Amino acid sequence: MIPKMFRRQVELRAYWRKLKAFVKKLSLQRQMMENLIIAKARQDALQRKMEERRLRLQEEANRRFAASGAMTAEEQEQRTLYTNVLEYEQDHDWPKLWKANMKENPDDVTLVSRLVSYLLSRCDHPVVKLLRKHQYRVYNGLYPIVSKGLPQSPAVLLRPSRSTHNLLHPETKRKSTNTVSSGQSFSTSLSLSPSLSHDLNTNYDDDDEEEEEGEEPHTQLTVDRENSFEDLEQFLTQLDLAPPHDSTDDTGSDSELTCDTSMLKEGHIQELEMRAMKEHLKAIVKDIHIAIDQLLSLCLLSFECLNTASSKDLCLASIEEAFFTPLWSALVALFRKVNREREQAFETSMKLYQDASPGVLGVPSKLFPPEPDTLQGSYPYKSAVQELKLLVKDCCPQKKLECIVRTLRVICACAEDYRCLHEVDSAPKTAAIGADDLLPILSFVALRCQCPQLVSECAALEEFIHEGYLIGEEGYCLTSMQSALAYIESLHTGGTYLPADKLI
Amino acid sequence: MAAGGAGGNSGKTYSFKVVLLGEGCVGKTSLVLRYCENKFNDKHITTLQASFLTKKLNITGKRVNLAIWDTAGQERFHALGPIYYRDSNGAVLVYDITDEDSFQKVKNWVKELRKMLGNEICLCIVGNKIDLDKDRHVSVEEAESYAESVGAKHYHTSAKLNKGIEELFLDLCKRMMETAQAEERLKGNGASQSASSRRGVQIVDDEPQATPAGGCCSSG
Repeated sequence: MIPKMFRRQVELRAYWRKLKAFVKKLSLQRQMMENLIIAKARQDALQRKMEERRLRLQEEANRRFAASGAMTAEEQEQRTLYTNVLEYEQDHDWPKLWKANMKENPDDVTLVSRLVSYLLSRCDHPVVKLLRKHQYRVYNGLYPIVSKGLPQSPAVLLRPSRSTHNLLHPETKRKSTNTVSSGQSFSTSLSLSPSLSHDLNTNYDDDDEEEEEGEEPHTQLTVDRENSFEDLEQFLTQLDLAPPHDSTDDTGSDSELTCDTSMLKEGHIQELEMRAMKEHLKAIVKDIHIAIDQLLSLCLLSFECLNTASSKDLCLASIEEAFFTPLWSALVALFRKVNREREQAFETSMKLYQDASPGVLGVPSKLFPPEPDTLQGSYPYKSAVQELKLLVKDCCPQKKLECIVRTLRVICACAEDYRCLHEVDSAPKTAAIGADDLLPILSFVALRCQCPQLVSECAALEEFIHEGYLIGEEGYCLTSMQSALAYIESLHTGGTYLPADKLI
Repeated sequence: MAAGGAGGNSGKTYSFKVVLLGEGCVGKTSLVLRYCENKFNDKHITTLQASFLTKKLNITGKRVNLAIWDTAGQERFHALGPIYYRDSNGAVLVYDITDEDSFQKVKNWVKELRKMLGNEICLCIVGNKIDLDKDRHVSVEEAESYAESVGAKHYHTSAKLNKGIEELFLDLCKRMMETAQAEERLKGNGASQSASSRRGVQIVDDEPQATPAGGCCSSG
């Protein structure tokens, strides 16, 4: 009897326990439901607040641009971008802190560069987002052409250190993961068409519209987006390895055409293609100028404290460096295609005159050592040649320009030294190096550099040199460099020069 | 084409580009070195020596920055001249009064400059080496009447004796300022236009070039 009762009691207790647990679970669930509802309500409120804030900021942006009167699409875009900046500043403190810092230390010159480089390292800031957007657009314009007509060798040397993703953030390696993710978010809107004919034959503006329309599905094959940068990497490596005339020969789609058409037609097609390529390059150059102008103005809108003459220059220099660094090799590849003939002429002269003495190029004998043997494995102006060789290694126009200036300075210093060698007896005369001496020496140095790519590099620099530098020392040096290169190109023809207007 | 390089945004500072032309032995290097020489400072020569020189002036209360671009006089570089001339506000064409040939060369350059830059460029024709007047081969009348016929001014200088050089450049600066001011008036005060037409995109050569010369004097 007793054990039976005991058993029932145990069973009852077990039931009770279950019931209790069930009730507890129920109340928990109810609580959770309530919490969810509260959360939803809060979220809605927040959403409303965000919306209100956006409107308020939009109004603020509108007020700021109110003076402009009728709005163009461009102004509309700028207004939207500025709203984004205001929004960003509501969510982040650092812009305020930097602005205050700038106000407190107006004389600290380094502050400007530090601010701009900090700004450019914030991936989520509207300025950086805009920078990426423009970079991808330019890259998109370059990719189909640069990648075209190259030998498809499977074994390609990849240089991971030059990966574009890393280059996007040269100053902060730690940030590279962020960069990649932001890169991918952008690349989803890219569709790279490998067909050159499509891209070249359609008007560039049409392409633009297509892009702006968003996800317009292209009929062409879409290159694997994840690998697109790597592809570019490969092609560029091949470009670097192959001699210029091989790399630029259009062995791709043209071969089938040339099989059954006359030489005349082939020439005509090549001519058309070259013209289209020049047009394309022109459009890209224009795009880049617009992009940089837009970036600079957004930068100055975001930080009004940067809007002084000197800060603006520093700001522009930083933007240009960030903008060009990942793009330069692709950009110069297109310039090389367009300037193929000039590079070939340079190469021909280079081969003919590689061992020529400076005198052959018109350098007066007092400006180089009389006995080349005394230099022991060296040659006159070697230090200038070494300096100039560094030009192709830089990735931003400003740095390249500085390299050219340094080359010319080294030339002047060397010339002075050589002249002193000749005039040991007499007192040093006042006659200094003028253009009459400089240009032949520079030609000699450029020739010894043995780098036909210089032609395209300088052609590109010409497009992107900052206007303020045109009239100054930098402009003079670039002009002299251009002249020397053109002179070398004309050398192998034995005196018939290139028409000067080709250079302008 | 060469718009007066007036700094639109920072007061009254003019930036002018002047090209220096002349055959090898006419003494243009000495001439320009004389001009940019600073008696109180021995380091007057820039790192590019006499090929590129700058001078800051103050003319009737206005600041002027002068950039003097030397060009190579040799025949072999003649074809390359135009890329040096572009956007120049002034040109100094030097010949040697004892060398008839060098005067002929000046005439060629004048033609080329007028063709390239029209009437906006201020031309100075300079007969150098007047210390050697006894060997003169280019008559004063011929030179002066030629200069007048092409709308240029004529000067006589001696780099050796430091004669006439200061006057030459001062005069040139004043003329370039006048041209720049006239152009400013013509434009109305289109101060804000520099942003859009900042850089001329020049790949195809049939497009007229509309870049104003060095508008921004704050940098560089």
